[in-house]
Order: sequence, then structure tokens, then C-alpha cells
Amino acid sequence: MHLTGYVGLLFSLLAFLSLAGFAGVAAWNRRESALPFVEKGQLIAAGGVLFSTVILLIGLTSRDYSFKYVYDNVDNALSFVYTLTALWGGREGSLLFWEVIIAVSGMVFVATPGYKSLASNTKLFFWMFFLAVQGFFLFLLTSWSNPFIEIIPAPHDGRGLNPLLRNPGMIFHPPLLFLGFALYTIPACAALASSIAGETKSWVTVARNWNILSWIFLTAGIVLGGWWSYMELGWGGYWAWDPVENASLIPWFAGTAVLHTAVIEKRRNALQRTNVFLMSLTFLLCIFSTYLTRSGVIDSLHTFGESGVAQPLFWSMVSWMVLTLLVVFLSERLTHRTLSDFLSRQGMLVIAAWFLLALGMVVTLGTMWPVISQLWTTKSLGLDANFYNRVCLPFMSFLVLIFCFCPWLGWKGGIRDKRGFIGVSAVLVISFVAFYLSGMTNVVAALTAAASTAAIVSIVLLFVFNPALRRGRHNFGVYGVHLGLVLMALGIAFSGPYKVEQEFVLAKGESAVIDGYTVTFTDLVQDGDVGDIKLRATATLEVYDDGRLIGIMLPEKRIYKNYERQQYAEVGTIPGLGDELYSTLLGLTEDDKASFKVSVNPLVNWVWIGGTLMCVIAFLLLRRMPRPGEGR
Amino acid sequence: MAKNSNKIVYAVALVLFLGGLGYLIFSGLTQDSVYFLNVSEALAEDRAEIGSARLFGKVSPQNLAVVDGKLGADFDLIDKLEPGKSLRVSYRGALPDTFEPGVEVIVEGAFSSGGGEFVARTLVTKCPSKYEEQSKQMEEGKG
Repeated sequence: MHLTGYVGLLFSLLAFLSLAGFAGVAAWNRRESALPFVEKGQLIAAGGVLFSTVILLIGLTSRDYSFKYVYDNVDNALSFVYTLTALWGGREGSLLFWEVIIAVSGMVFVATPGYKSLASNTKLFFWMFFLAVQGFFLFLLTSWSNPFIEIIPAPHDGRGLNPLLRNPGMIFHPPLLFLGFALYTIPACAALASSIAGETKSWVTVARNWNILSWIFLTAGIVLGGWWSYMELGWGGYWAWDPVENASLIPWFAGTAVLHTAVIEKRRNALQRTNVFLMSLTFLLCIFSTYLTRSGVIDSLHTFGESGVAQPLFWSMVSWMVLTLLVVFLSERLTHRTLSDFLSRQGMLVIAAWFLLALGMVVTLGTMWPVISQLWTTKSLGLDANFYNRVCLPFMSFLVLIFCFCPWLGWKGGIRDKRGFIGVSAVLVISFVAFYLSGMTNVVAALTAAASTAAIVSIVLLFVFNPALRRGRHNFGVYGVHLGLVLMALGIAFSGPYKVEQEFVLAKGESAVIDGYTVTFTDLVQDGDVGDIKLRATATLEVYDDGRLIGIMLPEKRIYKNYERQQYAEVGTIPGLGDELYSTLLGLTEDDKASFKVSVNPLVNWVWIGGTLMCVIAFLLLRRMPRPGEGR
Repeated sequence: MAKNSNKIVYAVALVLFLGGLGYLIFSGLTQDSVYFLNVSEALAEDRAEIGSARLFGKVSPQNLAVVDGKLGADFDLIDKLEPGKSLRVSYRGALPDTFEPGVEVIVEGAFSSGGGEFVARTLVTKCPSKYEEQSKQMEEGKG
């Protein structure tokens, strides 16, 4: 089994690399007759990856501990669901999962009308890039990250999965990120191929759905990761600016920027080189994200461990960047069109892209600062969360501001609808003053909150003033995604700077006051032997506001059956669209007291609501591509 | 002519944008940067000069003092590569679930005025993510 799985990967590696070389030579010589061979060949080679993945899945579900990978990530007590999720739970498996998504996406892309509409030579160049990328992943999987290593003799039980990872957030968070990363391969390769082949059909249109899907999955992965760290990890919030968190955010900024500049290419046939560069950069940053998390170059809260992939990942990034620059600067048949007025919808889209790219650059700079600073000091200098908040929050605030006014501007300049423009301006000023006077003295937070309020009003007014907007599914998609972002910004503006957190040690019957709420510790129940929980202590915290009971929190402390030396906390919350009360049972003392961490998180749930809205509504943006020869 | 004026407006906007970004980054770099040090590196430095720092190390099983009923702990933070080197850490906040002897932690704070101990404002244990190293810790942690 182990050897069979490995041979499957090895076969795919050789097949992908051969086909990539063959496609490249054929494309260079314009031998388009080679295309059917490459298309069928990639299907067979992708089959090899699928075959090996199935073998690993069989190993996991049968708990075959002769697979080192199974031994490392599964144990006899683990539930079936988490046994399945172990496929992407470990280092080697996650890389295989990433590769299998690329392989399957290639199998799907070849059958889409978008692909079929491309010229044959573009298709050959596409396969050259796309199959080479897969070859690289398989090179890692057959060398440093081999999931088919055998243990002789096979152990009777595995190491298992840490209880902190037994959380629904952890089932979906990693695969969503990997889906986002992997699917970006298609638009990136399509952009380079179109550019090098001088394709007349716009790759922006052809790869539009893939670009949007990648963005949706990446966004969902990031949001879910934030929710998981908020609910399960107790890092003190949803975003700690940890290098591993930043690693997933950096490609998101570039991917979001290219969604905006692509609109300009589609509408005005401008920014062609920029778009090819940004699309390719987004893919490169996905690799950079992996490099950050697996090379050990930056010390992070996460222990990913060095795995020998650092050097190949580094050189692959360098090669891809050189390739991208060559393609972008040497490609022909690109038209040059100047941009419209700065104060136009087009201008605002360009500025939004600047802001997004700047944010990506800031996060990259901050994350890599311990490495960069070593150029001039022997003591490694790093940046704390304040740095990111100082730079990113004002930029986020301006981004929301741009969105407030952008829809009221004409494509080429001028204000399209003065009523809306003036109305939104008035809401912005009034809400800023109101937020500030009501005690929101952090100017950036007040500006973000005011801009978010104005943006919500802006979206409502747009649909009120323009009945035509209400008829288009696409419009609901565009403005729905932005509404999600705005709600998220509103949540961040409040829950970030205005979170109140305190730690208490209470005896039964004692109360503590936090941010005007009275929290009373009324009961502590201990039970056990529930599923995989050996022992559980559940505290009851009653919360009163002005003497009125508003809810009960039940934070828990658990000891799991296979991890008896460690205790795990489950938070208790009183969810709310305004303040959310949040508590963690930190510990118990021999004199029947308990220590708690309690926080009041204003508007925090709007972060999750906004994030979910962004991901779900973005599906409305997907469009069916007309088949070649089919009218629209 | 109109196209030229567009270019100028974009150029001015870009200069303003980069100026604002540059200012924010510069002020952030000068005010929010802290030393990222391993224990051995911190020991080699003049403690008075270090100021605020983030230290990486492991919790020593010896001299670990967690007072029942009170938050925080006093412990020796040992170097990840050179276990013979350690420094005393005092932390008065809530301890993470995964805090225990031998676990890797990241503490942020500053040395006390006498330089005798490192007073941590925050303490986080490394995330027990699914990747490799922690598996060894988990195996040791199994009852």
C-alpha cells in the first residue's frame, strides 16, 4: 500500500513534468496538434494523484498505523469525522490535499466553456505553467513531505489529534484556505499563458469564476480561522497578527486588489500588464504563505516545524517572480489606455487597489521584520500588534470611505447622482460626530464606524434611487459582498479598541462587575465520562445588567480521555448583536473558588456576520460563460 | 492635455498616499518594535538596554511556582537549544490551557528595574497546531 501510494505520486510527478515540457515545446513551435495529447495526459496524471490520495484515505479510515502519517495524526479514540479531516490535518497530508485540489481543478477547467474559448497556443502555454506547478508540488511530496512513509512494526495506536483541534472550525478552516490557495493556480497560469501567447480573448473573463471562487474560499478560511481562535484558542481575540495568521491574509490583499483592477480591464481594456502581474503575484503569495508557515524562518505561536521544504519553496518563489516579470514585460499585443479622471469610479478602484496592496505590503513587512532587521543588527527586532493596528486600521478606514463614495461617481468622472453623494456625506459627518460624542474618542475607530454607517446608507440609497440595480443578480452580489465587508469593519472598529477584559477569582455566590455588567458565580458542576471527555467542570455565571438577569454563561474545563495531563477550556458566551459577554474558566482552587477571564466584546458578532455574508453572497457573482459560438 | 492632467492628479495622489503610508510605517517601526530574543540571546545582552522584548523559550520543570487560587506563575525560562541557560520570569495573568513544564512559550514584557527577572505582560504557549513538533509534546502529554 505504502509503495503503491508513493508510486502513484511518482508516476504523476514524471507525467506532469514530461507533459509540461512537451506542452512548452509544442507551444513555442506552434504545434497545436499536440494539445489533445496534453489534455488527455494531464487527466491520466491527475488520476495518479487521486489514486494516491484514496490510498492515504483508506489508511486513515482503517487506522493503519503502519503509515507514519496515520500514526502521527490519528489514534484509536478519535472520532470518524476527525479521522477523515486528518487528511489535511498533518504537514504532508495538507500538501497532498493542496495538490489534489489543483489536479482536480485542472480536470474541471479543461471541460469549461472558458477554457474551450481560448486559442490552442494559449492552452498549451497554460498547461506548461499549470503542470509545472503540479510537478513542483509532487516533487515536494515525493521527497521532503512524503505521506507514505512506513513504520515497521506498525504501532497499535497513534499519537492522535490535539483536543484543541477537535472543533468544527478546525474541520473547515484549513481545507478552505487550501482550496483558496490551490484554485488561484488556474487564473494565475491563465494570465501568464494569455499574456505570453498574445491571446485575444481576455483571460480576466475566462478565469473570472475561478478567481472569485478562490477568493471566496480564502476569505471563508480566514474568517473561520478567526472564529476558531476566538471560540477555542483563547488567544484573547480573533486576530493576533501572528505570522501564521498574517500568512493567509497577505495573498488575500493581492487577490482582492486584482478583483478590483480586473473590473477596469473588463470595462475599459486598461491595466492589462498590472492585472497579469497581480494575478501571478497572488499565486506567488500563496506559496509565500506556505514558506512562512513551514520554513521556520519566523518564530510563531504555531509550531509548524521545519520540514526541509524551505529551500525549494524559496527558490520556487524566486523562479516564479522572474518568470512573471519576464512574461509581463516581454509580452506583446497589450493595448495601452490611460485611466480616467482620478475622481471617477475607475480612479477610486485604482486607489482601492493601492490601499489593498499597501496593506499587504505592511503585513508582509511587519511579519518579515525579524528577518529584515538582521541586516543591520545582531538582535532580531520584531513588531508587536500595535504596529499593525497603527498602520492597518487607518487604511481600512479609508478603504471603507472610498466605498462610500465610489458608487456615486461616473465611470469616467464626475458625480453621477448628487442626491446620493450629498446624503452619504451628511451621514458620514453626522455619524462621526455622534460616535465621537458618545464616547468613541479613538478617532480612527470613530472614523471607521462612521464610514461603515455611511457605506451601509450608501448601499441602501443606491438600491432605492436606481430601480435597475434591483433587477440584477450581479448587483446584489457586488453590493452584498461590500455590505459584508462594511459590517465586518464596523465590528472591528468596536470590538478591537473597546473590548473590556478582566480576570476574577470568585467563591460561589460572589459577584464581580465588568463594564457595568454584574457577573455572579452561582454553581459548579463536575461530571465526566461523556464521549471522549473524562472529566468536566462546568461553572454557572449569571450576568445581570441593572439588576436584570440577561443570561447565563457556562464556561467549562475539560480533561479528555487520552490527554489526562492537560486541561482544556471551553468558553461560555451570551451572544448578542451589541455586547457579547464571553467567559473562560481558568482554574479551580482547593477552597472551592474558581478563576475566570471575562470580557465584554462590543459588536464582535458583526465580524462573523459580515464575514459570512461576504463569502456567501459572492457566489452570486459567478457567471456562466457562453460556450464558443454561443451568443449571450 | 486632459490625459496629462489626469497623470498629474494620479501622481500627486500617489505621493500623498505613499507619504501617509511611509509616515505610518516609520512611526510604527520606531515605536512598536521590540526585540525578539531567545533566552541565550537575552542573557548575552545588557538587560538595562533591552527594554521591551519578546522572549522565546521553554518552561523549566524546576522552580515552577503556580499559586493555587491566584493567577499567573513564576518560572525559569530555558533556552530552546541550550537548556543550561535560563532566566526567571514572573507573570501575573491567566495561564493558557497548554501551559505546563517543558512547553514552549512566548513571553512579552520587560526586565525588572534590578534586572533580576523578566516581568511578562503576556504569555502564550505555542499553538498546538497539527504540524510535527507538537505531536511529540502531545505524545508525552498522553496519560
